[in-house]
Amino acid sequence: MGNPESQSKEPRSFGLQTPGTKGVRGTKRYAMVIDLRKCIGCMSCSVACKTEYGLPLGIWRTWVKVVDKGSYPTTKRVFMPRLCNHCDYPVCVRNCPTQATYKHEDGFVLQRYNRCIGCRTCMVACPYNARHLLPEKRTDGNLPRMVVDKCTFCIHRVKKGLVPSCVQACVGGARIFGDINDPQSEVARLVATETVTVLKPELGTSPSVFYIGGDWEIMDEPHSYTNRTHQVREEFNDFKRNHKGDAFADIVEGEPLMSEVANNWYGYLKTIPHKAKETLNAFKIFLFD
Amino acid sequence: MEESVVTFNAFHHVAWGTTISVYFWLVGASAGSFVISSFGWVFGIKRYKPLTMTASVTAIIMLLIVPFLLTWDLGKPMRFIYLLIPGYWHSTGPMAWGTMLICLYPMSMIVYSYFVIQHNQTFARVFGIVAIVLALSTHWYTGVVMELNPGRFLNHTALAPLLFLTGAFISGIGLMNVIVTIRNLLVPAVKRYDWALIHEMSQFMMYGIVFDIFLLFLDFMQTTYGNQNEVMGHTVVLMQVFRFPYLWLELVIGLIIPLIILVTPLKRSLMGAFVASLLVAIGVYGMRVWWVMGGQYLQSFY
Repeated sequence: MGNPESQSKEPRSFGLQTPGTKGVRGTKRYAMVIDLRKCIGCMSCSVACKTEYGLPLGIWRTWVKVVDKGSYPTTKRVFMPRLCNHCDYPVCVRNCPTQATYKHEDGFVLQRYNRCIGCRTCMVACPYNARHLLPEKRTDGNLPRMVVDKCTFCIHRVKKGLVPSCVQACVGGARIFGDINDPQSEVARLVATETVTVLKPELGTSPSVFYIGGDWEIMDEPHSYTNRTHQVREEFNDFKRNHKGDAFADIVEGEPLMSEVANNWYGYLKTIPHKAKETLNAFKIFLFD
Repeated sequence: MEESVVTFNAFHHVAWGTTISVYFWLVGASAGSFVISSFGWVFGIKRYKPLTMTASVTAIIMLLIVPFLLTWDLGKPMRFIYLLIPGYWHSTGPMAWGTMLICLYPMSMIVYSYFVIQHNQTFARVFGIVAIVLALSTHWYTGVVMELNPGRFLNHTALAPLLFLTGAFISGIGLMNVIVTIRNLLVPAVKRYDWALIHEMSQFMMYGIVFDIFLLFLDFMQTTYGNQNEVMGHTVVLMQVFRFPYLWLELVIGLIIPLIILVTPLKRSLMGAFVASLLVAIGVYGMRVWWVMGGQYLQSFY
C-alpha cells in the first residue's frame, strides 16, 4: 500500500489537509472491516454506542441501514452498519474553519468540542451523514451541547488496548477493528485477501471503513430516496416535524415547500432568545466570576 | 427486476437552512448595489455619481444584517470570535476566508463612502477599487463555500461562483432600481435622480439575465448528462421538491418574465423597468433557496 514518495513524508496530525497515512511505514492507521455476511441486523452495535456515549434521542454515531429485497417467498434482508468512515482525506477536516475537527496521527478523525462553533460546515462537507449537532437539552448539563459530534472509533478504548464498543458488542463478529498498516493485523489480512468495498469511492475520500459482501443497492445514495417504504417516509416526516424549531432545513414531504422554508425561518428566530440568554450568561461569568 | 426497499435507516437533518439562503441573497444584493455605487467614482461614469451614496448605503445596510444572521445561526454564537483568532483560524476552510472577507468588505465600503462624502476623488477611487474587489470576493466565496463539498452533487460545480456573482449583479441592480424608483416618487422633483439611469441600469440587468440563463443552461446540461446523483438532483430535487424556487421563482418569475419585459417596448415605461427589477430581486432569492437547501436534500435520506 502507498508509494515510496508518500512513505517518505511525515504525516501531520492536524491543521492543513492531512496527508493520507494508509500504507505509510512507521505510522498506525486504524480501520474497520465490516463483514456483511456475518451481520444479522441485531443493532447491538448501535445500542452499545448509544450507551457508551449517552447519545440523545434521534442521534446515532453508528446505525444499521436495512433493505428488504425480492418478493415472497424468495426474499432477503440485507444490512449495512454505518458510521464515520475516518477518511484518509477527510473533507470535514479541510473545511472546518476553526480546526475543531482534525485527523489524529493514528488515523482517527476527531472533534474538539471546545473549538467547535456549531457552524455545521463539517456536516455539509461529510458525504456519509456521519456528523450530527448535539441538542440544546441534554439529561446532564455538563455534556456538550450545540456542537458537532461524531464517531471517534472509541479512541479512549483503543488507547487502553480495547476495541471500539460497537466491535465489542457485535454478536456475529462482523466488525473487525485494527491497524491496517500492520500486516499481521486481522483488518490488514482481510483487506488484502477479501473483496472489499467502501462507500462512495468516487469522492476520493479514502474511507477507512471497508465492507465485505456489500449490496450495491443498500450502498447506493439515490436508491435510499427512491426505494423507501411508506412507513420509512412517514417516520422521517415525523422526525422532521418533531425537530421544527431547531434551525435545520428539514422539508416535510407533501407539505408546500415555501411554507416549510418559512417554518425553517421561524425555527431560526425561535432559537434566538435562548441563544441570547446563553450569551448573557457567558458575559456574566466572564465579568463577575 | 425484483423489489428492493429501504425498511430502516437513521434520519438526518439538512444542516444549513433558510438563514444561509437569506445571507447569500443579502451579500449578493449588497455586492450588486456596490457595483452601481462604484460606477461614478471608480469607473468614471459621471452620470452615476448622484447615485453613489444611495447605492453605497444600501450595500452597507444589507451587509450589516449579515453578522447578526450568521452569529445567531451558530450553535455557539459567542464562539464566532474563534473565526478571527489566529490559533483557531484554519486556512483551508472556505468559511475562514469568508469571515475575513465579510469583515473587510463593509469596512472598505465605509472608508470609500467617507472619501466620497469628502469629494476626494483619488482616495475614493483607491478604496472603491479595494471595496469592489472585496465585494466580488465576498460573493464569490458564498458560491465556493458550498462548491467545495464533493458529496453535494448539485453544488459541486465550478459554475457556482459565476452563478452567484451573476445573480448578485442582477439582484443588486434590481434592488437599486426599486429603491431609486420609490425614492424618486417620494422626494420633490428637484431632488430626483435622472429617470434615464433606471432604464440604463435595466439594460445592464438584461445582459446579466441573459448570462444567468446561459449559466443555468450549462448547469442543466451538467446535471442532465451527469452521473446518477446529478440526474437525480435535477429530476427529483429541482424539478419536483424544489420546483417552486427553481422553476417558477428563479427561472420564470426572476429571469424569463423580466427578460420579456426588457426586450419588448415595455422596457421604456417606468412601470415596466420597475416590475422587471422587482421580479429579478425576488427571483434571485429562489436560486439561493434551491442552491442551499436543495443541494443538501438528497443526501439526508442516505
